[in-house]
Amino acid sequence: MDVEVQVNNSPSPAARFVTWAPSPCRVRVTNPTGATTPTVSLQLKGASAASGGAVLFRSGSTGPFATSLTLQVPINGTSVPFFVAGKFGQPSASDGDVKIEVRRATTLVGSVPVMVRIRKNANKLTSAERDRLVSAFARLNNQGAGRFTDFRDMHTSVSSPQAHGAPGFLPWHRAYLLDLERELQAIDPSVALPYWRFDQAAPNLFTRDFFGVSNQLGTVQFSPSNPLQFWRTDGVQGISRRPFFSTSAAPPGLRSEAQTIALGTLYSAFRALEGNPHGTAHTSFGGFISSIPTAARDPLFFLLHCNVDRLWAKWQRQLGRFDPAQAASYHGSGSNPVGHNLPETMWPWNGITGGSRPPTAPGGAMAASVAAVAPGPRPRVRDSLDYQGAVSAAGRLGFDYDDVPFT
Amino acid sequence: MTSKRKAAKKGTKRTSKKAAKKSPKKAAKKAVTRTAAKSGKRPQRRTARAALAVATSPRKSAAQRVAAMAEAPLAVCEADENLQKMLDVLRNADEPIKVRLAALQSLQAASFSVIAFEACRGDYIAALRQVATDPDPELRQRVLGLLAREKDGFAQRKLLEGLRKPEKALVPPEKALQLLSYDIHADAYAAAREIVGEPPNPAAKQEALRLLAADATAAPMFEKVLLDKGELRENRQIAAAALQALRPEKLQERAREILLDAGEYPEIQATSLTALTQFGDESALEQDQPLIERVGRLKGEGGTKVKQSARQFLNRYVR
Repeated sequence: MDVEVQVNNSPSPAARFVTWAPSPCRVRVTNPTGATTPTVSLQLKGASAASGGAVLFRSGSTGPFATSLTLQVPINGTSVPFFVAGKFGQPSASDGDVKIEVRRATTLVGSVPVMVRIRKNANKLTSAERDRLVSAFARLNNQGAGRFTDFRDMHTSVSSPQAHGAPGFLPWHRAYLLDLERELQAIDPSVALPYWRFDQAAPNLFTRDFFGVSNQLGTVQFSPSNPLQFWRTDGVQGISRRPFFSTSAAPPGLRSEAQTIALGTLYSAFRALEGNPHGTAHTSFGGFISSIPTAARDPLFFLLHCNVDRLWAKWQRQLGRFDPAQAASYHGSGSNPVGHNLPETMWPWNGITGGSRPPTAPGGAMAASVAAVAPGPRPRVRDSLDYQGAVSAAGRLGFDYDDVPFT
Repeated sequence: MTSKRKAAKKGTKRTSKKAAKKSPKKAAKKAVTRTAAKSGKRPQRRTARAALAVATSPRKSAAQRVAAMAEAPLAVCEADENLQKMLDVLRNADEPIKVRLAALQSLQAASFSVIAFEACRGDYIAALRQVATDPDPELRQRVLGLLAREKDGFAQRKLLEGLRKPEKALVPPEKALQLLSYDIHADAYAAAREIVGEPPNPAAKQEALRLLAADATAAPMFEKVLLDKGELRENRQIAAAALQALRPEKLQERAREILLDAGEYPEIQATSLTALTQFGDESALEQDQPLIERVGRLKGEGGTKVKQSARQFLNRYVR
């Protein structure tokens, strides 16, 4: 007997990535040889490699998860649905380091490798995770001739009002990071964007093998095996980044995670994080990252913003602020600028130019993913809120943080 | 208060009054939200204003003021008076330098709230230009950096002037070159070429090379620097990256030669391997048996970085 398991309801290997939020899956018998009844009892279980990820199962869209699941599956090829999620606290370190195994009694009848792909603290990545990330970044940039140029062009002085200084700051940047992450995953599917936890020391991040060491002048230096030595933006070689703090410690003057989450229980209060820690983290440096027109030229920008997004995710989880219909989840004032209101589509993915939008829309639509259908090609502000699909499963964006659970 | 700022404030006020008149339901909802926000939003605003008061008070200690500056960005754009107080601290050479630097950081953090800061931008840039010639070198450097990232013509002229007339230099030549490289349209190539030919120090040469990496006509120079075993490793690394961008086929050719040269430095071999692994011509490299064999040997006998780079090369091109 043979069975097929489809992760994220897709036969594509590119869909075999899960997070803490449940992924819809299905199993079907493809070769019924040996079966004598219309249905067979199949047990699904995760098999983790050493230090690999772990998965949990449940049969429906609600209810508790378990380490194994037994399903009655017809032998006529009809699929039976179930859900898989990563076991919180046990993310993968590499692609396929956990398998979903299907057994009939004790016989293995099907197996599919998956990855519990989770955004992690950059300071704690393994050297293999680090190398895959910098390689994907370097290839996306392709010395200033690659797709990264669009991401650089999305974050400029001209486009800034679409993304800053108003409630859409967090939703816009969540979509921006997701778009970039999906492009990195198109190069290497095992990459998840890590975060720079700027309220803690991150000595492993500021090394020549990772995001570089700044010399006295603020020019970032890389080891000869680091592909970021070929980084180039706007025709200019290298990265300028001059920390005003010792990189063996956290920058001073930043709100801690606890202080940030305690900013308030309403989104209108919480979004004060745009000043401190967000703005303060940017201006803890001289160089590209410290000014809006040049910030996105430094790849560290994306790790900084990933942490800002993580803080929002953590605040959302602690207070249950995923539902756009709840006033506390967003500051839906009628006086918000264009692009900052819940039902509106976001620039540049919507392709709208001129008027109150910037004159060009670089990059086109949001990158698609077979592992998560949302937010679609032209995300609205509201689509960024329910990133785990906590309110509506279809809204799951396909990323999670190592310290923000699903429940 | 500038007229632009007055207009911005007036516009906001008019809009909210209009909205209340038009939709009493919406206005009531807003009032409820305001009441509900008491525990969150209002204390935060008070904190930012209070922080700004401490940050700009000469009666407080420098340490207290620096600490308060971190909480002040949100208040900067709430009133023109707040902005002016912060700009006064930045401009005042009698203030402790730590406080002035913290004021600069706070203003810069406020500038990330683009919509609110827009009305402040003119005064802010004018103040930065004023401070660009300040006696304090650290403040000068930071301010020139901020202006250079805005592609500010005033700052670019000052930096170029300093390269041509060192007695007028506001920052060392290597810093001026780095800041000028933010805008490749800045007319700095000639000055950079002179510095490459006759560098005042190694850092200036490195920054001049980095700046020239944007100049398409500089490819032959980079090829020469890359192949010169007498050059500093950092300069050769810069040359490899520049050549990869300007003439990728030439870099691929030279990288191959470097790898086949048993007398070449390991760091340059590692850089060459990295270039070929990340950006190489896949179909050509998969067929290049002599190179694959050589990289196979480097994987076994090279230094740590060479071994690591060799492993990545072989993983990509040998199936």
